Amino acid sequence: MKILVVDDQKANQIMLEGLLTSIGHKVHCVDNGQQALDVFAEVKPQIVLLDVMMPVLNGFETAPLLKELSGDVHLPIIFITALDAKDTLLRCLEVGGDDFLSIPFEPVVLQAKINAHARVRELSYSLAQKNKTLKWHSNRMEREQAIVRHMLHNALSENELDKPYVKSFLRSVSTFNGDLCLGKEGPFGNYYLFVGDFTGHGLAPATGTLPIAQAFFGMAERGMSVSDMATEFNLRLLKLLPDDMFCAALIIELSPGGERLTCWNGGIPDALVINRHGQIEHRIPPRHMALGIVPEEQFDSQVEHLFVRADQTLIAFTDGVVEMQLADDNMLGERGFEKLLADAWQQGENGFATVRDQLLAMMEAKQQIHDDVSLIALQCQRQPPVRTEQPVVHNHLPFTLTVTISKREVMRLDPVQELVDSLGKLDALKSHKTTLYLLFAECFNNILDHNVLQMDSTMKDELGFERYYLERQRRLEQNEHFCVEIVIHYLPEEEFISFDISSNGLAPYSPKASTGKASESNEEALFGRGLQLIETFAGKVEWRAEGQVLHVEYDLSRPPF
Amino acid sequence: MGVTREFSADQKQLVIAIKGKFDFSLVQEFRQAYSHVGETQPLIIIDLRETEYLDSSALGMLLNMRKSLGNSVRGIQLINARPEVKRILDISRFDKIFTIS
Repeated sequence: MKILVVDDQKANQIMLEGLLTSIGHKVHCVDNGQQALDVFAEVKPQIVLLDVMMPVLNGFETAPLLKELSGDVHLPIIFITALDAKDTLLRCLEVGGDDFLSIPFEPVVLQAKINAHARVRELSYSLAQKNKTLKWHSNRMEREQAIVRHMLHNALSENELDKPYVKSFLRSVSTFNGDLCLGKEGPFGNYYLFVGDFTGHGLAPATGTLPIAQAFFGMAERGMSVSDMATEFNLRLLKLLPDDMFCAALIIELSPGGERLTCWNGGIPDALVINRHGQIEHRIPPRHMALGIVPEEQFDSQVEHLFVRADQTLIAFTDGVVEMQLADDNMLGERGFEKLLADAWQQGENGFATVRDQLLAMMEAKQQIHDDVSLIALQCQRQPPVRTEQPVVHNHLPFTLTVTISKREVMRLDPVQELVDSLGKLDALKSHKTTLYLLFAECFNNILDHNVLQMDSTMKDELGFERYYLERQRRLEQNEHFCVEIVIHYLPEEEFISFDISSNGLAPYSPKASTGKASESNEEALFGRGLQLIETFAGKVEWRAEGQVLHVEYDLSRPPF
Repeated sequence: MGVTREFSADQKQLVIAIKGKFDFSLVQEFRQAYSHVGETQPLIIIDLRETEYLDSSALGMLLNMRKSLGNSVRGIQLINARPEVKRILDISRFDKIFTIS
């Protein structure tokens, strides 16, 4: 222990210093209170022995000032006094002294008191250290939580739960929600909904939000199927979550016209399809295990398709809703919730608001909720969104491209798909990919089938569809030295692309024989359709060089659909 | 890439999804997907959401399917076609013989 002795009498200083040094303490002596304050920061005493009567600053004045300097850590002050008057002793304690020792004293008494106060000092010191650590951790956690909140907020910035046909009510137990509700419109006007409930609540489950939200928005944007979504989410959570954590989830897709629901339910309470009177017309029960449990090869992504009407509403909710506690401490329960729903819907237009207000009232009555609560209503009436054409800038270089395709390429890959995939890399051509593929494929196959392989369209009728292609394959394999040449001209300024397809085939194509057939074709005909499609989509189609070259022009300024 | 098929739990719907390119290279796979529809007269749903390319052979395959299934199914729906794909179906007047939604 480092002990500061404050006494104006040298004799006392020498006596105390000798005694304390002999039992292993370090001692610093000063003559009065002011000196004690002056050396405090340098000496850093752990216990102070303080005389009462001193010049400059006496013991009573010094004690509170020393306590103040010591700050959060307890500094034991033992008054050394020759006085034994009762009121002096009382005063010693009043000004902040912890103990007193009257001279003369038994050395063992001093030793005992020093030991006792050293223990208190140690306790206080370690407590102060722990508080400091605690404060540091608490600051760090607050900062980390703020970062996670920020990330979650950004991850959900794409969320489209605010559509006019969607209503939602979400409440969480803590800052972070273990429930996750996501909505997003797909590329062809379909709408996706995800309702998830991670095990537990708070920060840990909320972190599962990030990978799911990212996958959900990405897949919705690409118009992926519900079954593919379920498989992908399961795989992600399987890799990510510890064994005892998983995510119950309901994935829904509403078709663009609002006539069909596709559903996958893993562990979420029955979602309900209700009519305008609040009567339940369909249930979507949990047919699967929650996400993040079943290994990839055993995962069942089977979905359900429901046909719905415009006056129907899908109600999806997490178990926080049905486990809501009523005034009598019973749970609301599925029956209770369904009755609440029916009553609210019967009251009229604002059924959802009524249900929400009732749930809020239950929460308020109980002052707290035990689980995160999510409730979503999705109106099965949709108008496909109006597509706004993005103006495409043709700021590419003009080019002429010659592609020569021989047997090697035809047998190995699909040359047309390769070609269109490459052209589609140009921004200005991207949205025309499907149509360009159709044009290239029809023309290429026409040249290959008729000019090179000498197939006759009527063979499709004679042989049947599949045998036609088998025969085509057989002829392809026998024909060693054919090649088809495609020459593409692209003029970005004119928003124009054209191509000429020719072959080293022997017989020129005789368009008349086939176009005659094509004009007779109806919806049921198996051939002739190809040329009809080319004529519809191309600005210009003509046979050149006496039926050896098929020339096609395509206007890129026309929308592809 | 390719064809996937899945019956609904009640066997009343058969969903066939075609991913990537829909042309004669899928002819056998596609035929297998709608074979064995069973006795339940299911509704056939062709999901075209991931069909990026198709040509006239795909149209032929759809017509073949319709012919071979006849009355053994409740109907055939073509769903989730991209606008570009839908336009090709419309121009071929497929809306007259299939339900396109």
